[in-house]
Amino acid sequence: MNALDLLLSLSALMLLAAFLFGQTRVYPWLAGILFTGQLVLLAGSDLPMAAGVGLEIFGQQVGWQLDGFGRYFALITIGAALASNVYMGGEWGERYQADGHSLRWLHAALAGNVLAMLLLLSSKDLIAFFIGWELTSWAGFLLMAQGGERALRAALRYVPYAMGGAMAVLGGLVLTLSWTGTLDLLELSRVMSTLGNGQLALLLALFAIGFSIKMGLLPFHLWQAPAYAEAAGPGTAFLGAISARMGLFALGILLVKLMTLSRVADLAFIDGLFTARDLLAWVAALTIVLPTFTALKQNDARYLLAWHGIGQGGYMLLGIVMGDATGSAGGLLHVFNYATYQAALVLAVFAVMHRTGTADLNSLGGLVTRMPLTFLVMLLGIIGLAGLPPMNGFVSKWLVYRSLMVEGRPLLFLMTVIGTLGTILSVYKLIHNTFLGQLRAEHEHIREAPWSMTVPMLALVILAFVTGVAPGLALSWVAEAQAALGLPVLAYTLGGIESPRGSLDMLWIVGVLFAGFGIGALLFYGAGGRSKRVHQLDNYAGGHFLSADVRYHYSDHFYAGLMHRIGPLYRGSFTWLESAVASATDLAASLMQAWYRQAVPALTLLVAAVLGLGWMVWR
Amino acid sequence: MNPSFIALVVALPLLAAFLLPLVPKVLRRLVGPLVLLVVAALGMALWQASLSEPLVLAVGGFRPPLGIVFYVDSVAALFVLAVALVTLLLWPWGGDASENLDRKQSLTLVLAAACAGLTVSGDLFNVYVFYELAAVTSYGLAAGSRTAAAQVATFRYVILGSLGSLLALIGITLIYFRSGTLNLAHLADLAPQTLHDPLGLAAFFLILLGLGVKAELFLVNTWAPEVYATAEARVSALLAGLVSKLALLVVARLLVLVFPLPEAREALLVLGMLGMISGEFAAYRARDIKRMLAWSSIGQLGAAFIAFAIPGPAGVAAGLAIALHHLVVKPALFLLAERWGGSLARLAGAARRSPLGAALFALFALSLIGVPPLPGFWAKYLLLSGLAAQPDNLYLLAGLVVLVTTVVEAVYLFRVVGVMYGREAKGEDAGLTNTGSANTQPASALAGSGVFAALLLAAALAAPLLAAPLGRMATQMSDGAAYVARVLPSTATLSGAAQ
Amino acid sequence: MMHILIELAVMPLVAFTIGMFMVLMMRKIAAKIQRRVGPPLLQPLYDIVKLYAKKTQSSHGLLHDIGIVMAVGGYIAAETMLPVPGMNGIADKAGLLTLAYVTMIPSLGLALGVGQCANPNGSIGIARALTAMLAYDIPFVVIIFGASWFYGSNNLIEVIAAQQAGGIASWGVTKMPLLAIAGLFTLYAMLGKQPFEIYVAPAEIATGPMVEMGGKHLGGLFVMQCFQLFTASAVYVSMFLGGGENWLFFILKLFAVVAIPMSMAFVFPRYRTEDVLAVVWRWPMVLGLAGVWLVMH
Repeated sequence: MNALDLLLSLSALMLLAAFLFGQTRVYPWLAGILFTGQLVLLAGSDLPMAAGVGLEIFGQQVGWQLDGFGRYFALITIGAALASNVYMGGEWGERYQADGHSLRWLHAALAGNVLAMLLLLSSKDLIAFFIGWELTSWAGFLLMAQGGERALRAALRYVPYAMGGAMAVLGGLVLTLSWTGTLDLLELSRVMSTLGNGQLALLLALFAIGFSIKMGLLPFHLWQAPAYAEAAGPGTAFLGAISARMGLFALGILLVKLMTLSRVADLAFIDGLFTARDLLAWVAALTIVLPTFTALKQNDARYLLAWHGIGQGGYMLLGIVMGDATGSAGGLLHVFNYATYQAALVLAVFAVMHRTGTADLNSLGGLVTRMPLTFLVMLLGIIGLAGLPPMNGFVSKWLVYRSLMVEGRPLLFLMTVIGTLGTILSVYKLIHNTFLGQLRAEHEHIREAPWSMTVPMLALVILAFVTGVAPGLALSWVAEAQAALGLPVLAYTLGGIESPRGSLDMLWIVGVLFAGFGIGALLFYGAGGRSKRVHQLDNYAGGHFLSADVRYHYSDHFYAGLMHRIGPLYRGSFTWLESAVASATDLAASLMQAWYRQAVPALTLLVAAVLGLGWMVWR
Repeated sequence: MNPSFIALVVALPLLAAFLLPLVPKVLRRLVGPLVLLVVAALGMALWQASLSEPLVLAVGGFRPPLGIVFYVDSVAALFVLAVALVTLLLWPWGGDASENLDRKQSLTLVLAAACAGLTVSGDLFNVYVFYELAAVTSYGLAAGSRTAAAQVATFRYVILGSLGSLLALIGITLIYFRSGTLNLAHLADLAPQTLHDPLGLAAFFLILLGLGVKAELFLVNTWAPEVYATAEARVSALLAGLVSKLALLVVARLLVLVFPLPEAREALLVLGMLGMISGEFAAYRARDIKRMLAWSSIGQLGAAFIAFAIPGPAGVAAGLAIALHHLVVKPALFLLAERWGGSLARLAGAARRSPLGAALFALFALSLIGVPPLPGFWAKYLLLSGLAAQPDNLYLLAGLVVLVTTVVEAVYLFRVVGVMYGREAKGEDAGLTNTGSANTQPASALAGSGVFAALLLAAALAAPLLAAPLGRMATQMSDGAAYVARVLPSTATLSGAAQ
Repeated sequence: MMHILIELAVMPLVAFTIGMFMVLMMRKIAAKIQRRVGPPLLQPLYDIVKLYAKKTQSSHGLLHDIGIVMAVGGYIAAETMLPVPGMNGIADKAGLLTLAYVTMIPSLGLALGVGQCANPNGSIGIARALTAMLAYDIPFVVIIFGASWFYGSNNLIEVIAAQQAGGIASWGVTKMPLLAIAGLFTLYAMLGKQPFEIYVAPAEIATGPMVEMGGKHLGGLFVMQCFQLFTASAVYVSMFLGGGENWLFFILKLFAVVAIPMSMAFVFPRYRTEDVLAVVWRWPMVLGLAGVWLVMH
């Protein structure tokens, strides 16, 4: 039994264990050990890891093999699962069970997701890939559907998207088989780029649509925010952190390995001006901007983060589509970086929900004094999400920006920055409305979240900070992934990259930043008079006295001025499109039912027979 | 294996059906199942034997093309086995007045005999006879629930069925008029000279329409939703699961042996596509689960027609895979739906009352929409890769139709799953919801669909092992020349020499 | 190593000193326009000392303080990434883009500190300030893009070296006039003076980030403003005016850059938030994009 067999067996074992005794107190410990074991196994094995078993079915070889690209995603997957597992192993899980939900199924869904993703990530041919793809979709569905009626509704909305994507992929798969005669990924990486432009374009369209749906790229993104936001807490964290990235994994393989980016750039809509590659880049850029500004309007912390999740996916794809060493490294690094802080942020929001019972951004406030650790997690998390130094989110975005600058794509660059600025606005609203401002009277006695919840959150943000200070740690994995995919490999240093056209050394930047903070603190605390701590109600209120029953917290319609300007731009076009498709389906369905309700079927039969005969004779 | 055993698979159930009332009351309930077990064993043995070479039985010793010929290749043998097993699983065990039960058991046995006959018959005349027999028994069974709705639905079914039979008979007459024979092997031999012209095609089309009534072919399937919704679940399961497949099988044989023409395939392809579209879209708006399943069944048979329209073994393999998969899944779903009648909203929270039933439903739904590694995926994969390999754009269009309708199918099936796992209705709706044991399945139905589920999972696990026999069966069935050679050794050598 | 540590210590100090005099100049300009005498030379320093030394110092909690620390500390760090004559600090390790993002940290710090005060008037001010940031940073990055593309690097040391190589003829302002104009416009908006000072709202009673700030907190913000003036003008000088050949020219350029918007500022009324967006997204954006197009073709 070799390493990949062992990895997959461990994962399958865990699924079984979750089904058998997922509701007990022992299981999270066992799962924690097994997840850690898998991480060690993954990190320590030589690449590529090939599975010992393979099978032949209908003339196709089906096998599994994990290379550097797959391993990069697998590490993130298992890491996210580990954090979610610890989080739900403690008080959160007890509460979840007490509310009448099934913890066993939640654990099983998590374990099932991990197994499905590992199968997908290690697929060696398109059949194994499609099996993994579908298992991932439906395991994801299972995880989304846990945790109540709203979660189930949101998950059901995912079904047509998931299925539409799967069918597009399946269509691409059979056409690939028919045109190239093989489904083996290695073989396809040699022959697929030799197909004619028309065939390649059709394959690209089918596969890319299928993969975009999973990733939540425009215009197929509508399902994702509710499906991820409404899931049970740790499920949301796991889904948000990695689930949608399976689409990116698939797109990476398709665009870089199988078709090659230069071939994709041959498919021109307008010769020399706008190619399929540009289209992908623009889809990615619009995916950054539009969902980010949708997030800005959310009043539920979970939805806000889920919408940002969609937006952040755009940076990853844009980086990969740029295809140079810097950009693709940025895009890939962003997968890891985003997973660390997004999981932490989601867990922090659910920690707040655990204590207060709500994620409504208009019914919270001032919790920093009650839940300081959770606040710290959210602070570091939003700095990461907004992409500011010193967190790791800055590094990956910086790499993408730089690639766009060097490649000379001003408009795309502008879009990425607009996305970042929108994110800053949006996440400030998140932390302000939750943790800053006035503490509500009913939250006066709230305590910090229990350790089972704060430890995984803190571990995640510490990871996000450490890989921000020393991005080289994560870039070693990225370089491996780039090499496995056939991309140019980034020359990196521990602190970032060194280049005559503009280097980045986070060790120095963060060092200087903290030195600056130190001096600032010295100035503030060392000089001048001692400050006295005042109560939050001891506040300027235009001459009035404040009391606890006065709501003195600005939260609703936070960016009124901005909305006054950009508000009319929110058209809801995608929602309209979605409902138009639904209505058209409904109409078609009514017509078809009318056919089956016809009063005189015998007459129809006779008419049909006569027409059919006529056709046969005429032929 | 002695080919004369073939006759037993038809004769035994038929005999048992007529002798049933004469058997002492104590043993009466055992006769049917025992006979079916014997037939199943025979089917198994025949399948083993025929995998290497098809078996031929000239009934009464008259050599073909004069006498009655039973021809059993591995496909036919497998369907004999399936007929016996499925009938056994859907056997009317009880829960009814004794006299009524006798009638049902007799009818079911006759139906089994007719189905077995359809699979093994080697000439069109016998096909017609067994088809009529199956039709008449199914009318009786469909009306068996004795509700007004069932009788109205059955009346519609009878009209369509009889018209269909008439059309088929005209078609057969035309063929006989042109070629002077009804033996399939002989016809296959003569067809290129006598039947590959507009008249022959017209005959094919008429037979297609006629048999299509049972096979839920688009144009002549308007009876299906009402009958399936009003008949007993068991009967719906038999009709949708079994009888439809056998009619399909006959059409496929005709297509392979007598009419291997692009026009005939095109007709099948177009009607199959329309069937898929109409069935799946109609199911999308279905308000009760049995109609939904009926429409879904129409859609699935459309897929099977599309599959058989693909030339060569690839098409036959895909068609067989779809037909067999549907044969396992649809009866199981109908069994589950037995107590889930009425508005879909009444299913709210059904998963709590009947967790196993809901889980099985989800499993079958997943397989039906083709989620790997369940067998439904492999069937869909074979179908789509077969379509993609064809140069004609019509086949690609069919592929597109399959893909799109699968999405629709997933939506409505999972809408039901969502209702079942959702919150129980509260307030005003609560009155509509069946409480207590009202919509939990009877143990027998659960056990029946449990067996189907076990079959499905076993097939999922053994998929790599099943691929080879399926391929073998497809090659056997799609090889028209071998059929002729096996049934008419002398003619084949003659025409072989002539070429 | 020792050398760079000394630079890191000296650069912020220089920046602060220059910044203080910029504040002084700003007030003097205002006074001249309003026909007043204006403050004495060391008034900014007196103000800071006064605020720090005040007896009544009230804090709304740890984050209130940390916000100020971040606001000052972030700029101290940013100064080390801005080359001044004779000193490059860590400019080679963090380019123009990094600098732009580091300067957002003080804004975030201020926002956090104000948020902690639990005064809705402060939060409204922050919402407006962040909106203003969204407004001016968008044209600003367009300009950064154009300059980086033109010089083929976003390392400020190289940008400056390239300009100094050929005298005024190779300055950014002559090579990329459109971008330079757009940059000046953006810089103006960035400084938050009239008509772009809605978020500070000094004329209204108390709608602004400062509403709960007093003593050391306000003093910290004052220090931050000194840094901000220096940073904004130094970035502009480095991108378009050839950086500092020597201290004299450098300081002259810096003051000139600040003086231009300040001379205009005090004759304007004030834009509403949405108007800030409209103005900044129109003129500097159009100029900037046109400039980028010119640079790239």
